[in-house]
Amino acid sequence: MIFELAVLVKVFWSAIAAVGFGILFNIPKRIIMAIFLLSGLAALVKFTFLLNHTNIIIASLVAASCVGFGSIPIARQKKTSPFLISIPVVIPMIPGYYAYKMLLGLLNLAVHDIKDNDINTILSITKNGLNMLFILMALSIGVSLPWLIFRKSVLQKIRLERKDDLI
Amino acid sequence: MLQSEKITEKKAEILLRVCAMLMTAGANTSRILLIINRFSEVLNTDAQLFIDHKAFIITITDAHTNKKTTQLKRLPPHAINFSTLSAISQASRDAQDKNWQYNRIETELNKIELIKHYPKIIILISVGLAGSGFCNLFGGDFINMIITFFATIMGLFSKQLAHKKEFNPYFAAFIGALVAAFFASSALFLQLSTDPHIAVATSVLFLIPGVPLINSFTDMIDGYMITGASRFLNGLVFVMAIALALSIVLYLFSIKML
Repeated sequence: MIFELAVLVKVFWSAIAAVGFGILFNIPKRIIMAIFLLSGLAALVKFTFLLNHTNIIIASLVAASCVGFGSIPIARQKKTSPFLISIPVVIPMIPGYYAYKMLLGLLNLAVHDIKDNDINTILSITKNGLNMLFILMALSIGVSLPWLIFRKSVLQKIRLERKDDLI
Repeated sequence: MLQSEKITEKKAEILLRVCAMLMTAGANTSRILLIINRFSEVLNTDAQLFIDHKAFIITITDAHTNKKTTQLKRLPPHAINFSTLSAISQASRDAQDKNWQYNRIETELNKIELIKHYPKIIILISVGLAGSGFCNLFGGDFINMIITFFATIMGLFSKQLAHKKEFNPYFAAFIGALVAAFFASSALFLQLSTDPHIAVATSVLFLIPGVPLINSFTDMIDGYMITGASRFLNGLVFVMAIALALSIVLYLFSIKML
């Protein structure tokens, strides 16, 4: 297990990114701090895994699962629904870079004449596209993991005094 | 038309209005169904819903009078708004607890529609900071981060301008990406920074439609394939617009990025 202090800088900036997007999406003021802290935690998990040479898909899955489970108690405390917290938190982890790299590759392939190293372009298109798909899948599975593992009745048992949105 | 029929029609209308508000604000399908079920229970009806990205069909049966009605509503353009989502789910809970009637629900929805956005300047600055955050995550140095900050602000500003003039949303994203990438590349052209790629690559990341892409997969996990697929394609077209704008800028400045 390796850990570097440089990770903490990335943690800070991805928390900033999550809050920035949250403000663009008009999140209620009372959950800004919660989103900052939870996305910091998610980034800490993700970048620690990446530093230990875990694949980015697995790292995203683990981080998003932390977000999924972490959002439930926070949502109860802030009296909102878990998805309103977990979606802005995972926004910085969206594989946008892979997505447009794939499309740039496709455009490149379409525009230029056939060359010998085209096979490399095709490989990079496939790799970027698959990465995008699997990371998106990992993020959504991670975010909805509490609902996949536990039935609704179990989640309702951990209610305290208030009726919560558990979807 | 009989009075009871009119009441049923009105109930269908208000449920469709809730659907439209939720969908355009960026809720996923299971959430829409949950909230609609709550409201229809309060209104003493049984609601069956067909959900699409651009339209809703609802059939409701009034439990009192056994009257049935079917209505269809086309949706206004999507604009993600989490405050609306939060307020509507709060309202649905309150409606159940306090047994609200039709009029009370309507006044509450009117109130929710008036929820304010953050001030424009705060949105611009925070998204700019988010852009420079992305730049840092991809390993950009301080100068690159500053370039990305201003490029993102310019891009977002022009995208908002295009939205205000009611351009096609994909074209608005295209304009935003074009401006942001152009600004980032011209900063490099003036040799403000040595490593060109990171600022250009991250200056357009704020346009990636994260909420539709995440919602598409959560919908598919829940089994709503049509909405999931249409949300995914919607996101993909946005990404295509961004890639097209980026490739034009890369060509103009002859930057290699693959």
